[in-house]
Amino acid sequence: MLHQSISSRASARSRRDPTSPLRHVDPILLGCVAFLAVVGIIAVYSATRGPGPTFSHSYLFKQTMFVAIGVGVMVLLTLVDYRKLHDWAWAFYGITTALLVIVLSPLGDASNGSQSWFAIGPFQMQPAEFAKLSLVGVLAFLLSEFRGDIDLRRLLALLATAAVPMALIILQPDMGQVLIMLVIVMAMLLIGGLPTRYIVVLTVIGVMGILVALNSPVLHDYQRARLTAFMNPTDRSTSAVYNLEQSQQAIANGGVLGRGLFDGPQTRLGFVPEQETDFIFTAVAEQFGFVGGAVLLAVYGLLLWRIWRIAHIARDSFGTFLCIGVLAMFAFSAFENVGMAMGIMPVTGIPLLLISAGGSSIITSFAALGLVLNVHMRRFR
Amino acid sequence: MDSSSSRMRMSVIGVVVIACFVALFARLWYLQVMEAPALAVQASQNRTRVVASEAPRGRILDSKGRVIVDNRTSLIVTIDRNQLRKVKDRDELIRRVADVLTTNGAPIKVSTIEKRLADQQYDQLQAVPIATDVTEEVVHHLAEYAEDFPSVTTERRTVRYYPYGTTAANVLGYTGRITAEGLKTLQPGSDPDGVVKTYQPDSIVGLTGIEAMYEQELRGTPGIEMVQVDYRNRPVGTESYQPPRPGNDVQLHIDIEVQIRAEQSMSDRLAVLRGTPQRDGTIRRSPAGSVVALDPQTGGVIALASYPTYDPQEFANGITQERYLALQNINGASALLDRSISGQYAPGSTFKLVTATAALSNGLIDANTSIYDDGVFKVGNPEQEFTNAGKQKNGNINLVRALTVSSDVYFYWLGARMDGSTLIQDTAKAYGFAQRTGIDLPNESAGYVWTKADKRALHNKYPQAYPEGDWYTGDNVQLAVGQTVVTATPIQLARAYAALANGGTVYQPHVAWRIIRYGGSPAVLADVLRTIDPVVTGTVSLPPDVRGPIVAGLGGVTSGEGTASSAFVGFDLGAFPVVGKTGTAQVDGKADTSFFASYGPAQSPRYSVTAVMEESGFGAEAAGEVVRHVYELVAGQALTGAGSATSGTRD
Repeated sequence: MLHQSISSRASARSRRDPTSPLRHVDPILLGCVAFLAVVGIIAVYSATRGPGPTFSHSYLFKQTMFVAIGVGVMVLLTLVDYRKLHDWAWAFYGITTALLVIVLSPLGDASNGSQSWFAIGPFQMQPAEFAKLSLVGVLAFLLSEFRGDIDLRRLLALLATAAVPMALIILQPDMGQVLIMLVIVMAMLLIGGLPTRYIVVLTVIGVMGILVALNSPVLHDYQRARLTAFMNPTDRSTSAVYNLEQSQQAIANGGVLGRGLFDGPQTRLGFVPEQETDFIFTAVAEQFGFVGGAVLLAVYGLLLWRIWRIAHIARDSFGTFLCIGVLAMFAFSAFENVGMAMGIMPVTGIPLLLISAGGSSIITSFAALGLVLNVHMRRFR
Repeated sequence: MDSSSSRMRMSVIGVVVIACFVALFARLWYLQVMEAPALAVQASQNRTRVVASEAPRGRILDSKGRVIVDNRTSLIVTIDRNQLRKVKDRDELIRRVADVLTTNGAPIKVSTIEKRLADQQYDQLQAVPIATDVTEEVVHHLAEYAEDFPSVTTERRTVRYYPYGTTAANVLGYTGRITAEGLKTLQPGSDPDGVVKTYQPDSIVGLTGIEAMYEQELRGTPGIEMVQVDYRNRPVGTESYQPPRPGNDVQLHIDIEVQIRAEQSMSDRLAVLRGTPQRDGTIRRSPAGSVVALDPQTGGVIALASYPTYDPQEFANGITQERYLALQNINGASALLDRSISGQYAPGSTFKLVTATAALSNGLIDANTSIYDDGVFKVGNPEQEFTNAGKQKNGNINLVRALTVSSDVYFYWLGARMDGSTLIQDTAKAYGFAQRTGIDLPNESAGYVWTKADKRALHNKYPQAYPEGDWYTGDNVQLAVGQTVVTATPIQLARAYAALANGGTVYQPHVAWRIIRYGGSPAVLADVLRTIDPVVTGTVSLPPDVRGPIVAGLGGVTSGEGTASSAFVGFDLGAFPVVGKTGTAQVDGKADTSFFASYGPAQSPRYSVTAVMEESGFGAEAAGEVVRHVYELVAGQALTGAGSATSGTRD
C-alpha cells in the first residue's frame, strides 16, 4: 500500500465508495461543454480568418488558449467541495466589485463607447463577466442562509447586494450585462423563496423601470435605438437596423444545409459586424445552415436541461441556488444573443457563452459549469 | 416555503427556458427555410458588384473590304482612388506622376490630374484614367518604379483608329463616352448568341455617323465580372466572369478610293476658287461643299464627301471643349455638319430635270416643241421680267437643246404654262424631293418644294417672316428653274439623277451594305451575317418619250455647246459618256452656289455623282470639274489638274 501512488489510491477508493465525487461526474454535461467549446473555436476562427488569400490565425490561437485555461479552471473548481467555497463567495464578490470600480478609473480601457476593459498585454479582461458569477455566488450564499424566509429587510439586503455591481456596470455602460444580472437576480429570488406578493411588486416596478429608462435621458440615443430597433425593422435609419438586416440575410443565406465551413460569403467578407462575439450565431448559421443552427441550439438546450436537473437534485439549497443562477446566466445569454442575431430581441452586446470569442466570458463560463459539476458530483455527500 | 411551491417554481423556470428555445427554433426555421430565398438574394446583391469591361467595337470596312475604321491599343495611366486614399503623401505622389508624364512626352498639369480625379462620372470601383495615349517610356518608368507610385497603374485600352485619317469622317462619325441621357435612352443590341450588350456609365458609344446608326451592331458585348466585395466595398474575388466579345464589323457601300478622290478634288477646287472673283465681280469665299456618289441600281452610297471636315481621331480619347468649338468654325463653316445630307440649297438649273419630266409626261410638250428664246421672258400683271444668264439669246429652241445650253427662258415658259397646277411639285415629290431620303445617317434635312397652299400656310403662320401669302405666276416660273421656292440636299439631287439613270426607281440611299463577323472577310460567305437589301421608296414614270429627250438634252451638256463642256475638255466621253446638268443658284450678296448633278456611263449607269459648292460660282467652273475628277477615277482615266479659277459658262 505504501508503494501505491496517491492517485491510484484515490481511484481505488472511488471504485469502492459509491458517494465518491469522481463516480458522479455528469458525462452528458461534459459532452455538451466539449461540443460547444469546439464549435466555438471553429466558429470564431471562421469569423475572423478574413477573406484570404492569407488567413489570420490570431483569434484561433487565443480562443483555443482560453478554452484550455477555462478547462483548467473548471477542473480546479470541481476538486474542492462547493460548500467550502461558500465562505469564499464574499471575497470573490469583493474582488470583482473592486475591479468594477477600478475599470471606471483611467486604468480601464474604453472601446465601442463602454469603459469595460482592462488591457493586459495583448489581451483584454472584462470584469463584468466575472462579476456575474460572483453575484450568483453571494446570492446563493444569502438565499441559503435565509432558508426561504425572506422578509422585506432581507429582500432589501439581497437587492442591495445585486445593485452595487449592476450600478457600476451601468456606469460603463454595458446594458447587456446589466440585463443578464437582472434575469439572474429574478430567477434566484424566485427559486430562493421570495413570497409571491414581492414577486408581483418587483415585476411591476421592473416593467415600469424599463419603460421609464427607455424614455429617460439616462440612455444614449444609440442605446435606445439599439434596444428598440428589433421592433421597427423597416426603419433603416440606424446602424442597428443595418446590423440586424445583415445578420438575418447571412442566416438566411445558410439555408437548410449551410454554405459549408469557411464558405459563408457574408461571414467571410465581414458583412456582419462583431461576428466573432455578439453575432457569432450568424457565422454558425450561415456556414452550417438550419441543421447546424438547430443542432447547436439543441445541444445548448441539453446543457441547460442538465444544469436544471442538477439544480433539482442538488443535496442542499446552496447548490440549487448556484445552479439556478448559472442556468439563468446561460439561458438568458443564449436567448438574447441568438434572438438578437435573428431579429427577435433587442441589440445588446451579450456573448453566446462558450461559443463567442472573449477570454473573460470563456473562463467565467467554464468556472460556472465547474461549480455546477461540483454540485452534481457531491450530491451524495 | 414548502417543497411543492419550490418544485412549481423550478418548473416555471424550465417552462420559460423551453418557451424561449422554441421561439429561437421557430425563428431559425422561418429565416433559413421559409424566407431564405428572398433574403439570400438580398445578401448576394450586398456582396457582389458588377464590373464591366468594354469589348472592342466592330470594325468598319469599305465596299472592297478595306478596313477604314479599326481598333488600336492606347496606353493610358490610371489612378485607383480607393488606394489613393491610403497613400500618405498624396499631393506629392500626384506631383511625381505629372513629372513623369511631362518628362516622357505626355505633358500634363497637376491641376488637370486633380480635375480628372474629382470627376464623378467614374464608378468607385474603377480606376480613373488621368492620361491617355502616353508613350511606352511612361509605362516602363511607372513599372520600374512601381513602389514609388502606389495606386497608379497603366492600362492598354482599345480605342478607334482611322487608317485613312480624316477621310469619310462625316460618314463614319466618332465615338465617345456615353452621356447620362444616352444611358437611359439607348436601346442595347444583342450579340449573335443573344447576350445583351449592356451599357455602363463609362461605355464608349457611337455618337454620330455610322458609329451611331449601327451602334447595335458595332458595339461589343461587354465583359461582365461579378466581383465579390467585402463590407467596405473592397474587391476580394470573382464570382463569375463573362469575357468581352467584340462587336460585328460593318461593311459600307463606300469605296474609299472614290471617297478620297471626291474629298481631294473638292478641297483642291475650293482652294483654287477661294478669294477669286466670279464673272459678276463677287469674290468667291468657297467655304464649303459636298460630293455625293450613288450606285443608281441599288441606292448604295459610294462616296459622300463634305468639306470642311474633321479628324475623328481627335474624338478617340475625348475632345476638349475649345477644340470642339474650333471645329464648328473653319472659314465660317462647321466641320461637324455633313452638308451632303443636311445642306439645303436652291438647286437652280439642276431642278430642270423635274420641270422637264413634268411637262413631257403631262403632254404639255414633246421632244420637238420649240419656242423662240430672245433671252427675256415676261409674265404676269404687273409684268415681271425674267432673263437668261447674261441675257443670252438662244433663238429657236426645243427641250433637248434647252437642257443642253440651259435656256432659262424655255423653262420660264414651261413654269408659266404649269401655273395653277401642282404638276412640278408632284413630279418633284416623285423624284424624292421635299422629303428625307431615309439614308442611314443622322441629321438629314428634308428640303422643300412649295405649293400655293404651302406658301399661304407659311404666311398665315409666320406673317413677319413670310410677308407675301399669294402665289404668283412668277413663283411658278422660279420653281421651274429651281429658285426661291425650292431647296434640295445634295443627296436628294444625286438620288433624283440616279432615278433618271435607272429608268425611274427611287432608292433609299444606303451607306451600310453588310454586317460581317468581327475580323471576318467579306469574301467568305459564312462571315457575312446579314446583307442590307436596297429599299425602293418610290418611282417616277419615265417612258421612252419622256426619258429620251431629257437624256438626249443632258447628254449634250458635257460636250459641244453644253454648259459643262469646258469642265470635261480632255475627258474621254466616248469611253465613259456622262449625262449631267449644271446649276447655278443666286444667293443675295454672295457668290453663286455651284451645282453639277450627273450619272454615267450613259448606256449602263453605275454612278450618279453630284457636287455642290457654296459661294463658288457657275456650275461648270466649280462643281463640274470636281465631278469630272471623280469620273476620271471610276472610268480609269488619268487625273487632270485642279484647273484655273475661271472656266465654263453661266447656265
